[in-house]
Amino acid sequence: MKKISTRIWLLIFAFLIITVVFMYVLTDFLYEQLYVEDTESTMIEVGTKLQTMYTSGKVTDEFIAAIEHYNDYSNLNIFAVRNPRELSACVPFDIDYETLIGAEERQQLLAGEYVQKIGYEPRFDRQLISVVLPLVDQNRLEGIIYIYFPLAKISELASQEVILLFVSAFFFLIVISFFVYKGLRHIMRPLNELQTAVEQMSYGNYETRVPVNSSDEIGKLSSTFNDMAEAIQREDEVQKSFLATVSHELRTPISYVKGYSEAMQDGIISDTQKEETIQLIVREANRMERLTNELLQLARMENEQKEIILYPIPLTETLREVQQILMHQAQKKDITLQLTADDSLIVKADEVKLKQIFINIIENAINYSHEQSKVEITAIENNEFAHITIKDYGIGIPQADLSHVTERFYRVNKARSRADGGSGLGLSIVEQLLKQLLGKIEIESEVEKGTNVKITIPLMEE
Amino acid sequence: MTLKKWAFFIFSLVQIIWLAGCSEKSFNPIERERDFIASLNIQEPSLDFIDEQGNVFTTWSFEKAYSGALLLGDDRVLLYGHQLDKIDVYTLSTGKKLYSKKVKIGTTNVYYAKNVNQFFITNSKMNTVTSFDKEGNELASTQLGNYPMSMASYKDQLYVINYKDTKLTVLAIEDLSVKQEWPIEKSSHGIAIVEETNELWIGGHGEGSKPNSSVKRYDLMTGAVQGVIEMPLMPVGLTKTEDNVLVVSHGHNELYVTDFDGNVKWQQEVGANPFVVNQFNDYIVVAGYDDHTLYFIKEGQVQKTVDVGKGAFQLLVREGKL
Repeated sequence: MKKISTRIWLLIFAFLIITVVFMYVLTDFLYEQLYVEDTESTMIEVGTKLQTMYTSGKVTDEFIAAIEHYNDYSNLNIFAVRNPRELSACVPFDIDYETLIGAEERQQLLAGEYVQKIGYEPRFDRQLISVVLPLVDQNRLEGIIYIYFPLAKISELASQEVILLFVSAFFFLIVISFFVYKGLRHIMRPLNELQTAVEQMSYGNYETRVPVNSSDEIGKLSSTFNDMAEAIQREDEVQKSFLATVSHELRTPISYVKGYSEAMQDGIISDTQKEETIQLIVREANRMERLTNELLQLARMENEQKEIILYPIPLTETLREVQQILMHQAQKKDITLQLTADDSLIVKADEVKLKQIFINIIENAINYSHEQSKVEITAIENNEFAHITIKDYGIGIPQADLSHVTERFYRVNKARSRADGGSGLGLSIVEQLLKQLLGKIEIESEVEKGTNVKITIPLMEE
Repeated sequence: MTLKKWAFFIFSLVQIIWLAGCSEKSFNPIERERDFIASLNIQEPSLDFIDEQGNVFTTWSFEKAYSGALLLGDDRVLLYGHQLDKIDVYTLSTGKKLYSKKVKIGTTNVYYAKNVNQFFITNSKMNTVTSFDKEGNELASTQLGNYPMSMASYKDQLYVINYKDTKLTVLAIEDLSVKQEWPIEKSSHGIAIVEETNELWIGGHGEGSKPNSSVKRYDLMTGAVQGVIEMPLMPVGLTKTEDNVLVVSHGHNELYVTDFDGNVKWQQEVGANPFVVNQFNDYIVVAGYDDHTLYFIKEGQVQKTVDVGKGAFQLLVREGKL
């Protein structure tokens, strides 16, 4: 009873049985109504005619013989009775004898009415339809004409057919049940496949797919399931590669720190090199710290469900502050940070997040610029948005990598990664932050010519 | 009227009706001096009282399913029923119940022996006969054959036919001790004592599908078969009069009048399914069970017919009081 198909099958089977039984009962009923009624009316008609043969007085032997004679040629069973005992004449006495007619029937006959009976007659030990007609003379029940037709004969007539009916009904049921079963299986197969697929999914087999063969509800369900499975698989892969990257990224600095510190412990490193080695260890430790900080920041942003409160911030001032922060870094490479901005721009944002965005992008621009070049920062108003452009003349990004630069740990130049100190998380963080500030990022780049990052942030409504 | 008063009023009314319903029902009294023949009708139990002119002068309708009645002397009628557990005795001259007596269910017949002032009840469930004095005090009881019913007495002997048995039991009235058992046919019914010829005549329905069509004559003292009188089908109503024996055969609706030697004097087809015949003054009265009619016959002719209640089954006669 677990399977829905079994239940439907049982339901249909039950309905089939009910239908067959109902049809049988109805047929039986109609048969009885029509056939029995017809037989009864024939019997009454014949009996009434025979009744006219009797005029008065005692029922004579001749009368009985005449009825018997008629009986020989009739397909009904007819006889006349004059034995008062058979006619329940002794009724006030306790008679240990089964009479042909009962006391109430006698009263009816005495009144000149005929009696119709249907059912079991102990006298004949079978089911009968019978009609009893009185022979009455001056209130005396002198005799009766008893006409009967065995009900069994009617059913005997039909008995072959009844057996045939039962057998065919039985086979009909079996065949129909078989086809219903097959049909249900056919209909339910995609559901079963879906169920198996879901089971597989739950075991972690995200590559499971179901074939879509129809466009009905089950077909739609299957195709939706496939979409879902695909999405889950994709997400799973992202998760896996992220974890792999994170562990890889962390392992490199750790092995540096471990290797150098062990070497120092073992005295392999000479005193002259010690200072340099310590600086290396510190640098790697810093990288680790920064990496973990940024990872934390990303994780936190992804978990941050609540709405961030945005408030008016003078954009140019923020940009100037960022310029100040990165001035030192730029000077190291002799890079000029050139800021052109409209002082009146007030954006709707969160100051800390906004600064972080600019720092990450401008830092990138500095990092990937050639020495003695410049980074141009411009901010203008356009259609209720502030457009901030950060343009460098650095190494640029190949077209193929452009669409991936905001992915976590994605690096354009994999080999160079650790030398330039980047974690590969900067632009991911920027993208997340911009999402929170309802802003957008657009990156255009050309290899060896430079990169142009365009940021759009909504202005404060007036 | 307030609700309380109304409630009291209705309560009182109900009380009155209840008390009235509870009180003993009484019937129209029958004057002590009046001759009558009464027909006990059992289909819708009633007792029709008819005078010699053939007029039903009063009818007692019963709610109980009485199947038999008899006169206890001149002023008492005893009523019994096969399915009733009480017999009721009414005083005719007052129409009131004199007493009821608890009995076992299965009373088939009650017979009154005038000479000893006792009545006898036969019971088909217990297969017993029990004697009572006129006041309903039980005197003696005896086990009999299967289904005792027809009874007659002669001097100090009681004759009981065991209806579903093949014997007639002769008992001493005094203590109901069994004195003789005579072999008879099954389904015998109707009994007449012809003391003139020292005979006892028995009618009957016949057993099974074979209906009986004769009256058997037995020696009153020994039970020896004295003869057989051929009769129409099912002679069950036997009554001895001063100079005749009246026999009705319900199977053929015939009345036969014989002398004491069993010679048929005359016969007549009468009534529909008559079970009983009696003499009332100069009339022979036959009761038709199916046609609910009493036939008053004199000189071989039906003089008048009287419609009575449904299922006339017994005739009680009181006469000669004047």
